[in-house]
Amino acid sequence: MTFAEQFPIVLGSLNTGFLQTFRLFLITLVGAIPLGMLLAVAEISRWKLLRAFIRTVVWIVRGSPLMIQLLIIFYFPGLVLNTPIWGGGESGRFAAASVAFIINYACYFCEIFRGGIQGIPVGQEEAGLVLGMKPAQIFFRVKLLQVIKAILPPISNEIITLIKDTSLARIIALQEIIWAGQSFMKGSQGISGVIWPLFFTGIYYLAFTGILTILFARLEKKLSYFR
Amino acid sequence: MPILEVEHLRKSFGATRVLDDISFTMEPGTALSIIGSSGSGKTTLLRCLNFLERPDAGIIRVKGETLLDAASPASDFQRNIRLKRLHFGLVFQSFNLFPQYTALENVTLAEKLLAREKPDWKDNKSAYLKSIEEHGCALLAEMGLQDRMGNYPHQLSGGQCQRVAIARALALNPDILCFDEPTSALDPELTGEVLRVIRSLADRSTTMIIVTHEMSFARDVADHVIFMDSGTICEQGSPDEVFLHPQQERTRQFLSHYAD
Amino acid sequence: MKKIVAMLLCLVLLAVSALSVAEAAGDKDYVVGKGKLIVGITDFEPMDYKDESGEWIGFDADLARAFAASLGVEIEFQEIDWDNKALELDSKNIDCVWNGMTLTEEVLAAMTCSKAYMNNAQVVVLPAAKLADYATVESLASLAFAAEAGSAGEAVLTELGYTVNAVQNQAAALMEVKAGTSDAAVIDALMAAAMVGEGTSYPDLTYTLPLNDEQYGVGFRKDSDLAAALDEFLAAALADGSLAKIAETYGVQAALITE
Repeated sequence: MTFAEQFPIVLGSLNTGFLQTFRLFLITLVGAIPLGMLLAVAEISRWKLLRAFIRTVVWIVRGSPLMIQLLIIFYFPGLVLNTPIWGGGESGRFAAASVAFIINYACYFCEIFRGGIQGIPVGQEEAGLVLGMKPAQIFFRVKLLQVIKAILPPISNEIITLIKDTSLARIIALQEIIWAGQSFMKGSQGISGVIWPLFFTGIYYLAFTGILTILFARLEKKLSYFR
Repeated sequence: MPILEVEHLRKSFGATRVLDDISFTMEPGTALSIIGSSGSGKTTLLRCLNFLERPDAGIIRVKGETLLDAASPASDFQRNIRLKRLHFGLVFQSFNLFPQYTALENVTLAEKLLAREKPDWKDNKSAYLKSIEEHGCALLAEMGLQDRMGNYPHQLSGGQCQRVAIARALALNPDILCFDEPTSALDPELTGEVLRVIRSLADRSTTMIIVTHEMSFARDVADHVIFMDSGTICEQGSPDEVFLHPQQERTRQFLSHYAD
Repeated sequence: MKKIVAMLLCLVLLAVSALSVAEAAGDKDYVVGKGKLIVGITDFEPMDYKDESGEWIGFDADLARAFAASLGVEIEFQEIDWDNKALELDSKNIDCVWNGMTLTEEVLAAMTCSKAYMNNAQVVVLPAAKLADYATVESLASLAFAAEAGSAGEAVLTELGYTVNAVQNQAAALMEVKAGTSDAAVIDALMAAAMVGEGTSYPDLTYTLPLNDEQYGVGFRKDSDLAAALDEFLAAALADGSLAKIAETYGVQAALITE
């Protein structure tokens, strides 16, 4: 098969793989950002026990490889509890990967949010208090935008890492773009022993991270009106 | 009737006693200067008056109404704390302006949020907002900042920032306006403009408590002076009494550092 | 608090042991009960691969479909990571591994397998230019080999005492040779036929010497009664000629075990 004949087949396969990559990326963000906020709020709450619990969870999740977490979340229920809750099909694998990624990234986001909230000078809160503002008003009207501005660089870093981390989901046979690219090395759809599709997946990652980099730069510029 | 009565106020941080048996009164329309070395408890006193700290003992009364009696339970301290705070205004040493809001927005934000709690807010929203906006503009103009209303804090000098902060504190019409070393964070050449503004407020009989290290200013602007030392009121009286004829050795010692 | 934690732990342990007891029922009943056989595969022409409409076809795929039909259950093909095949089985995410799987000692230890149904060999893949220099097994001794970690190829090389770089999969082993990081690779004969030569990324590689003889089988969960059921099914399919017919469709009839 000539390159010209291979190209459309490979592209179709990579597109399908990238769609899966993108879906995992999106669902992780949608799940991990609110969960991370919740964890951050819990981590600076008044209850000592809750704080200690969250800190332990964050330590475990950030302190162990995501790959292990994927394996445990997907295989543990069937292997040890004898209840294969995910189902072996592609949708089950996607669900398990989503859960693993959301938990993992929520813990990273949690630490970024916590740092952002705690990094706002006490004076901002006190100024709001003496002006008769309610705690919620102080958070949403005074602190939130400052927190967002402060955490934008680390968050964009984390999000760009996330795109590339999605490839780890192939360990539980989620067929994302790297999987799709690799399949042509072994043989798939009549194309076998072909290496270039694997390297070509890099273009997808570059394009996607490029777009996100531009988006974040714009956002940062939008918030550059204050210091 | 005194506008402010403070009785036997006491506050410790751990084993350190920061305020010890502080009692004084203020008449409406007067200015009170509090002087003393760093760590003498001046700032903590202001923070207690603004309900940023809870005293361990003592009573705070404004216009005869008891806002705080440390003998009652902690839940009483929290009850209506927002409304109690509104009796006082506080101008911070480091301004604490909100960086994402313009000068005008800094001045009007709290007033707008409070207006929402009014029962007829929904019906008269635009009228409320308009009058708040006008009030804010007038206050900034009074501070000599009519050209700076649309600027963000980082575009303003320290002196201008502090004047915005004063306008912000005035916007809610507090009974007593407190200044916590308002010029300490400023370059020397910028202190004058802030002091002039405070003096003009005193000339218009604004009730004020001013914690400051500017001795000549404290003497000029105040009707009454308190000298604090290690958490206690060491000496108080008219400016002339305290500055010209101090009775206490510690007062004399303290003032001698500023004689030039 | 500690008491509550302790109670919760006890409850979890109880639940786990209760579930473990439930496992005792037969594997065949379990699959028939859920009405679906999930077959773990990799994309491996001519055993399991996709046709133009995206359907899984191939010798193994067709055979598996027929077996599922004989059980009266639906079939679902699921691509897996080959390294995790035993894990996939034990965690019940798949019900069998049916993908030209060489019956190595490791495989036989980790799974209960059907009888062998097809012959295979491990072959040496070399740059075509060097082919003439390495005509015998002994002449290969000086070479550095690449082989899939845990594969039959790696086992054979280790037995011979040759230098082996264990890599992630058979395709990676070929890439090693192409990139010059290894001198030669050892992979499945069936796979070498598909992956080396004209039209691939390895037009200048070729394969020669078979190093061993080996056989393919189907893997099930440990102690599964499905292995015996498949043996019965295969014997019948061999007898009525349907097995040979499927083999002819994919051109692998020569490798079929017919005794």
